[in-house]
Amino acid sequence: MMQSFGTFVSRNRRLLPVSATIILFFIAYAVGAVYLPGMRDTQVFLNLFNQSPYLLVAVIGETLVVISGGIDLSVGGIVALTSTASAALLRIGWSPWAVMLLMLALGTAMGAIMGYFITYLKVQPFIATLTGMWVGRGLAYTISNESIAIYDPIYVLLQRTKILIPGLSDVVTQKGAYITPSVAVAMIVFVVAIYMAHYTRFGRTIYSLGGNSGANEQSARLMGLPVNRTKVLVYTFNGFCSALAGIFLSIYTRSGQGLLGNTMELTVIAAVVIGGTTLAGGEGYVFGALFGVLITILIQTMIQIQGTLITWWTLITVGLITLFFIGLQSIIANLKIGQATGATISRAKRNQQVLLYGGGAVVVVVLAVFAFYILKGGSSSTKSSACQLKPFRQDQAVSLMKGGAVIAYERNGGANCIDELYGIYPDGRIVGDNGTQKIEKQVTPQQVETLLSFISNLGWFTDNMYTASHVPCGVCYTYFTSVAYKGQAKTISCVDGGTDCPSEYWLMTGQFSTILPKFAPAP
Amino acid sequence: MRQSRSSFDWRKITESKLFFPITALALILLFDLIIIPNFFRITFQQGHLYGNLIDILRNSTPVIALAIGMTLVIATGGVDLSVGAIMAIVSSVAALLMNPFVLGTQLQAIKNDPTYSYSPFWVVLLLPLIVATICGLWNGLLVTYGKIQPMVATLILMISGRGIAQLITNSQKIQIFYGPFVYIGNGWLLLPFSLYIVAFLCALAWLVTRRTSIGLFVESVGINARSSLFSGIDEKKVKLFAYMFCGFCAGIAGLIGTSNISTSDATSMGLNLELDAILAVVIGGTLLGGGGRFSLLASVIGALVMQAVTTSMYAIGVSANSILAVKGVVVILLILLYSQQVQDFIRKITGQTRMKETQS
Repeated sequence: MMQSFGTFVSRNRRLLPVSATIILFFIAYAVGAVYLPGMRDTQVFLNLFNQSPYLLVAVIGETLVVISGGIDLSVGGIVALTSTASAALLRIGWSPWAVMLLMLALGTAMGAIMGYFITYLKVQPFIATLTGMWVGRGLAYTISNESIAIYDPIYVLLQRTKILIPGLSDVVTQKGAYITPSVAVAMIVFVVAIYMAHYTRFGRTIYSLGGNSGANEQSARLMGLPVNRTKVLVYTFNGFCSALAGIFLSIYTRSGQGLLGNTMELTVIAAVVIGGTTLAGGEGYVFGALFGVLITILIQTMIQIQGTLITWWTLITVGLITLFFIGLQSIIANLKIGQATGATISRAKRNQQVLLYGGGAVVVVVLAVFAFYILKGGSSSTKSSACQLKPFRQDQAVSLMKGGAVIAYERNGGANCIDELYGIYPDGRIVGDNGTQKIEKQVTPQQVETLLSFISNLGWFTDNMYTASHVPCGVCYTYFTSVAYKGQAKTISCVDGGTDCPSEYWLMTGQFSTILPKFAPAP
Repeated sequence: MRQSRSSFDWRKITESKLFFPITALALILLFDLIIIPNFFRITFQQGHLYGNLIDILRNSTPVIALAIGMTLVIATGGVDLSVGAIMAIVSSVAALLMNPFVLGTQLQAIKNDPTYSYSPFWVVLLLPLIVATICGLWNGLLVTYGKIQPMVATLILMISGRGIAQLITNSQKIQIFYGPFVYIGNGWLLLPFSLYIVAFLCALAWLVTRRTSIGLFVESVGINARSSLFSGIDEKKVKLFAYMFCGFCAGIAGLIGTSNISTSDATSMGLNLELDAILAVVIGGTLLGGGGRFSLLASVIGALVMQAVTTSMYAIGVSANSILAVKGVVVILLILLYSQQVQDFIRKITGQTRMKETQS
């Protein structure tokens, strides 16, 4: 029995990393769903996709590059460049479709140039794409040092449109499980890439290039395969994918800035490895890319929903999972060598096993610590949960509105359990009260008017803006905002850290932070 | 052999490891000489030297320290991507040792007291360096006994290192006021004090590699690990040494960097510096991925080239964020100097006769 299982495993060992990824994903999700009730929602599962279309396309492109035996560090740079450039072009009134096409062309061209450098001028992929990253990010900063918001109606539409999942949603009320258009496009790219990698001559050439520290490329050349053309094309395709990722990200955040996609290349490469592709090249599946991305996003989501762990745990966990998969891959690689040369390698194999068990033990310990924190609610982890959440003061807000304020804004919670209530009056007076101290600030009436019309233009009084309240996480803020403008009045509350709030809400709170006075931090 | 007898041998010069880095540095300085007035002026104030050239030296010290360690790693045929993250860890550890208020509620953040440090000075210096060396050891173990590709093995620490650094200081920035520590990166003894540290490190590395046989071992492992094994060189120990030394150098760079800004900053300490260091080594002519012969001095000059580009751009008035783009273009142009086409071209104009000899 064991024998036949062993044979089965060793025959299909190429599939082992990718199956391990898939199994790990489902186990992690199940564990999360048991301990974090928030994760049982279908929409939270779909939000794994909704949050990641940009990561997915980037990882697809990178997977192909890695299979061909190269590496591409330029992803983050191209993302920053395309998002900033598109935001800047939209600001001066370009057509959004033209902008998107131009950005795709730009990314593709950058990929092609890097591919040319790597293939024909024999620059190391590492260095060529690294400079690509620098050039991209530098140009993005040259275009604008600050974040540019996007108000283009098409981008707004693309961000807001919900493609409802049949059976899980209500078409009439537009509520229920949904994905965004970006996810749909990413899925198309995903399918096309799978087809390209496994069913075309181009794909097979990519596989033949990677691995065996460059020797396979030599053999491919001797076999008469179009090595140079394929290499250039792989980088070109990744440039295209990166540009698409930049467009998705600028739709998702409705802004462009040079900082977008910072250290994204790390996440992307880690996701490629977690997705079961060997960094030596030659082996891997585009299919695994999806699960590499999902695991990365899942870790983020779990840490976000759990709430009390600092976000830096994401990096550590991703690092450890990467280690685990690299260990797994190197054992598989060794199994292969072991079969070929027999006993001479057995010592190395033993080292590999020691490493796997050691690495596995580390992963288990960390996961145990992680689970421990989740179960304990992290009460000992940070000082954040030590403070007492203050009660909401909605009646006070109502009395502010009755007293002639046009905006009443309460921010409650956070790491220090603050409770700030602001009232903004049409004459520009702003009063703030955080329970212990009161402050006042005077701005011009025009500023208040601009703010009000901005909020109104966000669709504040339409059905697009709605109250969404879930149980706030340990360090999240709860926001209550009442706005009265041109005879209409509406109150909307939201909790950050979740994904169910309309994203325009955060555009609004961003506007507030520029105008509101700041309390001195509590001693 | 006729060629080498002549008194002024072009070919010998162009074949030297130092030729390209020095050419690159000269090109950039020449550019500065023409474009920027007073770029080379050095003033003498309060017993210290100031000027753009001194700036280049001072700002490049962390990268030089990194490049020294990286040279050995790259010479063994590897690469270490984690040095930036190690710098962040070192920064957190050092700050925590001096002012551990983030750990407990009883401790107060120290404000502006240059004489206070929680741990003695030698602990503040030594423990971070030990931690950094252990990080290097971890990388080395993965590469040698784990048989994982260096780029991948060090990627793990690169990703998680910054998270670890944040955990150490509970994701807070700790300001540093302790005088002796601040002196490391900000003190002057005619020249910036950090220069002496890096010069000492460089001398140490040179002594260890060139006055013992370690340098030879490193090169032989880089050229052909298998045949070195057959000639009795323990490839694993050599690689382990290289990665540990690289970690140690990253530790020194981390101490200098932390002292420079007088704050522990786990988010941006050493961010992207691993890339600068790798490029410095590549400009220094050590082959990335191939390994083999290396020259510490060439790597140091490579690091200076990287910094000279940045300083010149600042002097022209390119904004801080846009510098990346210019740096990218300059670096790719410099790297192209090493490409086969350019090499062939230079060979054609300097050593034609020799080429014919080898062909025949």
